[in-house]
Amino acid sequence: MKMASHNSDRGTSIVIAILISVLGLAVLFPFFWMARSSLMSNIEIYKYPPLLLPRSWSFVNYATTLRAFPFARYIVNTLSIAVPSIVGVLLTSSFAAYAFARLDFPLKKLWFTLVIGSMLMPTAVTIIPIFVAWSTIGLSNGYTALIVPAFLGGGAFNIFLIRQFFMTIPRDLDEAAIIDGASHGRILFQILAPLVRPVLISVGLFTFILYWNDILGPLIYVSRTEQNTISQGLANFKSGFGTDWKAIMAACCMAIVPPVSIYFAGQKYFIEGIVLSGLKA
Amino acid sequence: MTKRTPRTTLTAYLFLAPALLGLFFLTIFPMLGVIGISLTKWTGLESPTYIGLDNYTEIFTSDFYFARSVAATLYFALGAVISGIIYSFTVAFMLNKKVPARGFWRSVFFLPYIVPAIGTSIVWSWMYEANFGVFNYVLRLLKIAKVQWLQDPRMATPSIIVMAVWGCGSLIVIFLAGLQNVPRSYLEAVEIDGGNAWHKFRHITIPLMTPIIFFNFLMSMISNLQIFVPAYALTQGGPSDATLYMVYLIYREGFMRNNFGHASALSLIFFVFIAILTALFFSTSRKWIFYEGE
Repeated sequence: MKMASHNSDRGTSIVIAILISVLGLAVLFPFFWMARSSLMSNIEIYKYPPLLLPRSWSFVNYATTLRAFPFARYIVNTLSIAVPSIVGVLLTSSFAAYAFARLDFPLKKLWFTLVIGSMLMPTAVTIIPIFVAWSTIGLSNGYTALIVPAFLGGGAFNIFLIRQFFMTIPRDLDEAAIIDGASHGRILFQILAPLVRPVLISVGLFTFILYWNDILGPLIYVSRTEQNTISQGLANFKSGFGTDWKAIMAACCMAIVPPVSIYFAGQKYFIEGIVLSGLKA
Repeated sequence: MTKRTPRTTLTAYLFLAPALLGLFFLTIFPMLGVIGISLTKWTGLESPTYIGLDNYTEIFTSDFYFARSVAATLYFALGAVISGIIYSFTVAFMLNKKVPARGFWRSVFFLPYIVPAIGTSIVWSWMYEANFGVFNYVLRLLKIAKVQWLQDPRMATPSIIVMAVWGCGSLIVIFLAGLQNVPRSYLEAVEIDGGNAWHKFRHITIPLMTPIIFFNFLMSMISNLQIFVPAYALTQGGPSDATLYMVYLIYREGFMRNNFGHASALSLIFFVFIAILTALFFSTSRKWIFYEGE
């Protein structure tokens, strides 16, 4: 009896392991198909039945694609939005999180509810008035409109997440520092921030991904071709080279590889960031 | 908590200043702005003309696109949320068993979530391509007729739902973390009482997971209702408006046709639409969410 149940347990584990592997490979398939198509010649890519791998790897596709898809410039452009935004998000969300976690002040409850409630606000609802406001002051064409919001609190979600972390740190630490005459700014930067470094790294990495992947923002605010971001460049490339699939797949590969590398380098922080967003809320 | 003194109040407001500016300038004032602009006819070039509720009357009575857009958005969001929750819960449940290389597979399932949607949409559109795409090749092997995945009005939204489900790796990570928090002792108690795997699942796992299911459902609903990228990059709202999702319609009216007034009215309706769905969902939560210790 005991034996039988043990065997059936092992049977289930094997079935589950197989199912997971099959599903996992299916999830990876689009990435494989993209890479494989990006290395094919025109004859190979339209062959029937489709080839699994190119016969000779045509890295030349990348060279040709780069002529119409200025990848280096897209990287520079995207980083000139993402890097200042990461700084803004980390700074201003930590400040707000500190106030909510550590200070007592009038109307605290109200502000907290409003700031956190704005998390549920769909961004698409307010794109028009915000655009109108930027164009009234003549800043609707360029990076300003994309960077400034990062300095205005850095997103309710990040404030909430960092606050939750500050709350887990014993107050004795900062109270001792206050007795020693430290200011709140010093406590935030020299005591609390180093202790919550993992969550700050998570927030920073997710902010990078957010800006790298954003398309609606650049569509509205970046109209000059030489200022295009990577996602925007990719969208334009697709509409311009509609059916040259090997070139399009090469461009997709270039746009996808950087976030994937960053993801694998900082995997732990990505996974933790997502887990905490779900479990702390 | 640092005691309330004029000094701490000043520090607190100084620290909160950026976030409060954000609250006012990125949420509250724009919300009022949407209402204001929605009462005008305005292309952004000349000054706006006040036309009262005309935009709304037009949307609800003669706007050819509005009803189609609402239907397409609801269809997509319902499909993507329900299949996404089922898919991600199943995968997380399996990953929670003793699976070889679990960490690796978790990373794999999460991967589609962090890559640019524009890139993955394009890759999927290549796989969906009617003549040379890999899906139609598989159908041909199975002797099934070709499908015009993204060009057939009946197939476009289901095809985009599949892409969305593929991309919902964050849900898997959250579910998995939740499952790992289900206390072993509870599950063992069921075993001691002679319960089987189904009993454990039905009476321990599911009830303890309801708060996380709720959170994932809510977040997934709000984000899927805002679907935009595939409609923009692959189908431009077509074929026959089958993918004319709300955000794409707002974008098209506002930024491609410069109808700020009309687009603002659509935005406000969209907001109310999401708010109602969220409220409905919250109102059901008391009935099925299990809170430990109650």
